[in-house]
Amino acid sequence: MTEVELSPEVSEYTEVHRHPEPKSFLSKWIFSVDHKVIGIQYLLLAVVAAFVGMGLSLLVRLRLVWPDKPFAILGDLFPVGAPDGVMTPEFYLAMLTMHGTIMVFMVLTTAPQGGFGNYFLPIQIGAADMAFPRLNMLSFWTTFVSFCFLLAAFFVEGGAPMTGWTGYPPLSAVPEATVQGIGQDLWITSIAFFCIASLLGALNFIVTTLDLRAKGLTMMRLPLTVWTWFVTAILGLLAFGVLLAAGVLLLMDRNLGTSFFVPGGLVVSDKAIDHSGGSPILWQHLFWFFGHPEVYIAILPGMGVTSHLLATFARKQVYGYKAMVYAVAAIGVLGFVVWGHHMFVSGMSPYSAFVFSVLTMCIGVPSAIKTFNWIGTLWGGRIRFAAPMLYSIGFVSLFVSGGLSGIFLGQPTIDLYFHDTYFVVAHFHLIMGVAAIFGMFAGVTFWFPKMFGRAMDEGLNKVHFWCTFLGVYAIFGPMHYLGMLPHPRRYAEITGVDYLQTGGAEGLHYFITIAAMFTITAQFIFLFNFIKSIFAGKPCREANPWEATTLEWTIPSPPPHDNFGGKVPHVYRGSYDFSLTGAKRDFAMQCNNDESVYGGAAAGD
Amino acid sequence: MTTTLTPTETQPAPTANGNGSFIGRPPQDGGGRRRDPVPNPGALIQRYKLGVWVGVGGIVMFFAALTSAMVVRSGLSNDWQSFGVPRVLFLSTAVLLISSFTLESARRRMAAADWSGVRAWVNATAALGLVFLGCQLLGWRALYDRGIFLASNPANSFYYLLTAGHGLHLLGGVLSLGYVWLRVRAPLRWPTREPVIEAVALYWHFMDVLWIYILGLLVFWR
Repeated sequence: MTEVELSPEVSEYTEVHRHPEPKSFLSKWIFSVDHKVIGIQYLLLAVVAAFVGMGLSLLVRLRLVWPDKPFAILGDLFPVGAPDGVMTPEFYLAMLTMHGTIMVFMVLTTAPQGGFGNYFLPIQIGAADMAFPRLNMLSFWTTFVSFCFLLAAFFVEGGAPMTGWTGYPPLSAVPEATVQGIGQDLWITSIAFFCIASLLGALNFIVTTLDLRAKGLTMMRLPLTVWTWFVTAILGLLAFGVLLAAGVLLLMDRNLGTSFFVPGGLVVSDKAIDHSGGSPILWQHLFWFFGHPEVYIAILPGMGVTSHLLATFARKQVYGYKAMVYAVAAIGVLGFVVWGHHMFVSGMSPYSAFVFSVLTMCIGVPSAIKTFNWIGTLWGGRIRFAAPMLYSIGFVSLFVSGGLSGIFLGQPTIDLYFHDTYFVVAHFHLIMGVAAIFGMFAGVTFWFPKMFGRAMDEGLNKVHFWCTFLGVYAIFGPMHYLGMLPHPRRYAEITGVDYLQTGGAEGLHYFITIAAMFTITAQFIFLFNFIKSIFAGKPCREANPWEATTLEWTIPSPPPHDNFGGKVPHVYRGSYDFSLTGAKRDFAMQCNNDESVYGGAAAGD
Repeated sequence: MTTTLTPTETQPAPTANGNGSFIGRPPQDGGGRRRDPVPNPGALIQRYKLGVWVGVGGIVMFFAALTSAMVVRSGLSNDWQSFGVPRVLFLSTAVLLISSFTLESARRRMAAADWSGVRAWVNATAALGLVFLGCQLLGWRALYDRGIFLASNPANSFYYLLTAGHGLHLLGGVLSLGYVWLRVRAPLRWPTREPVIEAVALYWHFMDVLWIYILGLLVFWR
């Protein structure tokens, strides 16, 4: 075992047991128990899923503006869904469903938490690995199986499900309703596997954060990234069990003849359905009890990365660290009591709607605290406009733009009008989709030198940032206007809908599709840069290229097998000690004791 | 096992110390949770048990969701037909409660370092777990004979669902006991045995509590 040279930044450390490095290819790269390899596996899965999901969104956009145009290649790939290359409305719905499902579960849930969380949470708290490494491996491979099940739905008879990522019954519960084979069953099974994987992962994250922190690393000294991964794990632990239960009930309704969600007296295509007494609303409650926390599962890690990076690149302490921690916790708690705002039009009592509305508005408070603190962190800082910083500032912008429309939607009277329109599409794409993805871009560009020992091309990253930043606003900005027409979601085309034609929807759809093509093309810049830099990027072997403060920047790039080589650094300070008065340089790492920060007679330098 | 690279005496900060939230707070020893970073049995027991407690949180949410679905579904329409639970469930309940005592006996033997005794009691516990599962199957059989099928009524559906859900979790417990048995048998290969036994014991007792809850739900929510 090669000796790992610990950075001279570490003032003091404790020796611990070292683990032998795996030898075979299989145990090193495939069935690895190393959190870093598992993190990269999650990231790669998410990258593949993101490109599949993006391709599906392109099909959705093409169908909307050219409903009758044949695309020869689609005719070859999907002879049923796109006969002669012309996409059927059912095919449109299937693409839309799979786009949502893949993006929400396989990208927004896996990459920020499973990917970056796995890779950096143990290192940032000074641990050699997660608390339960084999469980960690099991989580990833269960996620992988889940992804395979989901993709398999494309290739079965009847094709992919078309019930939306929310899978509302009775459409999803009655096979006759969509004339589908087992696509919907595969979808539910995939979600069930995903729930199990996420539960195991959440368990691991929580125990690791509570039990494996280095000496001196109190909870209130944790980097905000760790705080958000921790709170996200708690949300996952409490939410995914409920979705799993709902999925089991739905699967039973489809296949075993039970009636949990299917109402009595249902007639589909002139055929009476043999079910009685169930309630589709019951599914909505169970689904959204999971679904709303899921939104925060997707966005919280992005918030953590943003807080982390704004401080690092503004060379300032995070403004109001404690307030940030409490805001994250408050968002986590409130996230569990607002699910009803997805169901304002389900016929719920106006009194319940009022309660859900008030609680929803309450989320504005911690969100505003976070936003003001981000701006406060930037205020007066010596800002370094590196690519990770641009993405983080982009995150703040998108979070604010997407969050403001949430205030409209959180009010029952306004939501009655906006529900199921493009206004909602614009809202959740900006805040949950694109903002979270900007968090990921920030994370990739920031941690890339640590993960691979090479730097990404800064110029290409900046080009990619501007194309994507302007592109997503061009896509989702006009959708607010479409929503006000009001343009309903999930329509495969607007041919013959007069008020949409006269309202200018057609032109806007063209514009949005062109913007989407432009933005999707720009993602290949990032993909190219990412892959090229892994193999041929500029070598960046120094431990701390960004002059950051947290523990991952004390170890070699890429990190050795046991992270700190059997040594646990002691932690002396909070995570964001930038620009300390009287310090020798403008940042103090967490493992620097006061002598090494401030000098002094005893330091002997 | 502490090695210092710089002099051990730390000076108080000359000016504002650390980020805003820690002003005036000197660096403390033992701040993080890991006071003893070498994984000794005591620290591992703590970690494993914490893991089980967190897992319990997830399982509770799963069954809470099923409970809320059951409560809502029973109040929704007038097709709910309740029925008396099979009597064999009370036998299975007794068996499960006894199994917790046998597992506690295994823990006592562990404290006395009597590993053959541990194995015997672990075997007994696993056997009782299997008897419990057998009784649950007999319960299904009894319902089947009474014409109470899974899909014929929502009350039936929830009975089968809850018992199956608990049974699967308990089966996981039985498999874990098998793993404990293996570990106790080969102490050289797996030197840390206590943490696994402690964790499985905690899980097993939770299965008792969960079952009592489910039985109460099936008997009283009609």
